[in-house]
Amino acid sequence: MDEKFEQKFKEVVARYCSVKAEDIKNDMSFRDDLGLSSLDLMTFLGDLEDEFDVEFNFGEDESKLSRVSTVESAMELLQEYME
Amino acid sequence: MNKTYPLTAAQNMHYRWIKEYKTQQVSGLSIVAAFHMDVSISTLKKCIELEKQRYSCLRLRFTKPDENGEIQQYIADYEPEDLEEVDLTGMSLQEADDIMQNWAYQTFDGDDIPMCEFKIVKLPDGYTGFFVHMDHRLNDSVGIAVMATDIMNLYKHFQLGAEYPAPLADFEKVLVSDLEKASNEKRLARAKHFWDEQLDELGEPLYSDIQGKSVLEEARKKHNDPNLRAADIERKELFVAVKDYQLEVDSMQRAINFCLYNQISPTNLILLVIRTYLSKMNDGQEDITVENFISRRSTQDEMTSGGSRVLCFPCRTVISGDTTFIDAARKIQNHQNRVYMYSGYDPEFIRDEMKKRYNTPDDTTYVSVYLTYQPPMNTSDLDPDAKKLRTHIKWFANGAATKKMYLTVSHLPNRKLNFSYHYQTAQLTEKDAELMYYYMMRILFRGIEDPGRTIDEIINMI
Repeated sequence: MDEKFEQKFKEVVARYCSVKAEDIKNDMSFRDDLGLSSLDLMTFLGDLEDEFDVEFNFGEDESKLSRVSTVESAMELLQEYME
Repeated sequence: MNKTYPLTAAQNMHYRWIKEYKTQQVSGLSIVAAFHMDVSISTLKKCIELEKQRYSCLRLRFTKPDENGEIQQYIADYEPEDLEEVDLTGMSLQEADDIMQNWAYQTFDGDDIPMCEFKIVKLPDGYTGFFVHMDHRLNDSVGIAVMATDIMNLYKHFQLGAEYPAPLADFEKVLVSDLEKASNEKRLARAKHFWDEQLDELGEPLYSDIQGKSVLEEARKKHNDPNLRAADIERKELFVAVKDYQLEVDSMQRAINFCLYNQISPTNLILLVIRTYLSKMNDGQEDITVENFISRRSTQDEMTSGGSRVLCFPCRTVISGDTTFIDAARKIQNHQNRVYMYSGYDPEFIRDEMKKRYNTPDDTTYVSVYLTYQPPMNTSDLDPDAKKLRTHIKWFANGAATKKMYLTVSHLPNRKLNFSYHYQTAQLTEKDAELMYYYMMRILFRGIEDPGRTIDEIINMI
């Protein structure tokens, strides 16, 4: 994964938790390790749309949303939308 | 004058109500926080004065409206004051509450004036603390809790030698960020697309009333339109009464366990229960809209910056009677997730779009019930002595409701779940609140004991 992308992604994550961007690990769970609620998570996705100029079009497809569970899986999902 | 800024969407919501209802009373927000201990009043005064410096949202003022009725906000410089002390001892706590309730009805009238007022209160039964009354555009209930906690942390520092509390986030920085996000054209377009798509797909919403179909029928007669799908809003008689019901700890825990097990948020579960109640009262109507208040606090800065961050969005549910309880809950949750994603959007744009599309008469609405769910808070932070201490913390209604029925669900320190029904007395009585609570609980427990039951089955059972 591109280092700049990862760094920028983690800087956005860090706005939502008390963990510094450089201390955020890829296997961290948004809910359990970083303490994001479902509202926080959705607001975070809205920020990702702005920062990375993408549009998440989940529609009724909950399975895509459920992939946003760890930092790594969210980065992978974001990259799919960027391609 | 210091730098001025436009209002945020959340502040505009309150300002719009002030203009529509022609009184600032609809934007009042008041609380008393008092402690059963020997409080040093001079130290408490000092802490409140410090708080005004630390928590700059308390210093917000609003300019005179321009020719279009629009106002700006700015953060006034700190001005020290000697806080008023009011002795309410020598009466019952209920009588003291009644006096403070009257303070909560007071309005802040004028431009470029302070919109927040503290009083030191000595209450009966050995309680001492502070009462604060402010305009809702300065702060909201979560922000008030942050403020009260910070004041008590300052008190602990000066009086008990605890560590000086960390600074709070910069309100102005968060305000600027909010305004920037709100004007981001791509974000706006995405949100508009989401809301427009819902109207494209589902068409015009349909009003549903707590009292049943007769309310919409009356509106249809009044407007001479048999196909009208919206009903009238009460604009004149705004007095609101409050009725609270408390769900016992065991029952509350069953509901929370259901949420945890099924990964459904409590807000979405309550929304489902309310919409099912409205469906029952409106002959099984499937298209039901409830307005849900969302407190937009997600980033670390937003948590402690203060400011009014609450917006209300329509939660439109079109759910057929043969849908199971759990599927209905998931459907609402999926929809709400998308609403959260665009929660910086001004909900007035949604109402404007509906007005444009469906040409509804002025002063009508599709919604009779509004919900706020307040997640549990750690109230021990409010304890200035770091021990289990008796507190008297009470929120006071501003006495003027812009909504027919406004339900606040919150967790009490004793772990009970409080259902606070604020209802316009021009339209509703305590009996309506009682019936609503009774049926809501029946729906809730029939649903969670067997989530495979359909909505029709549950309605028939109760």
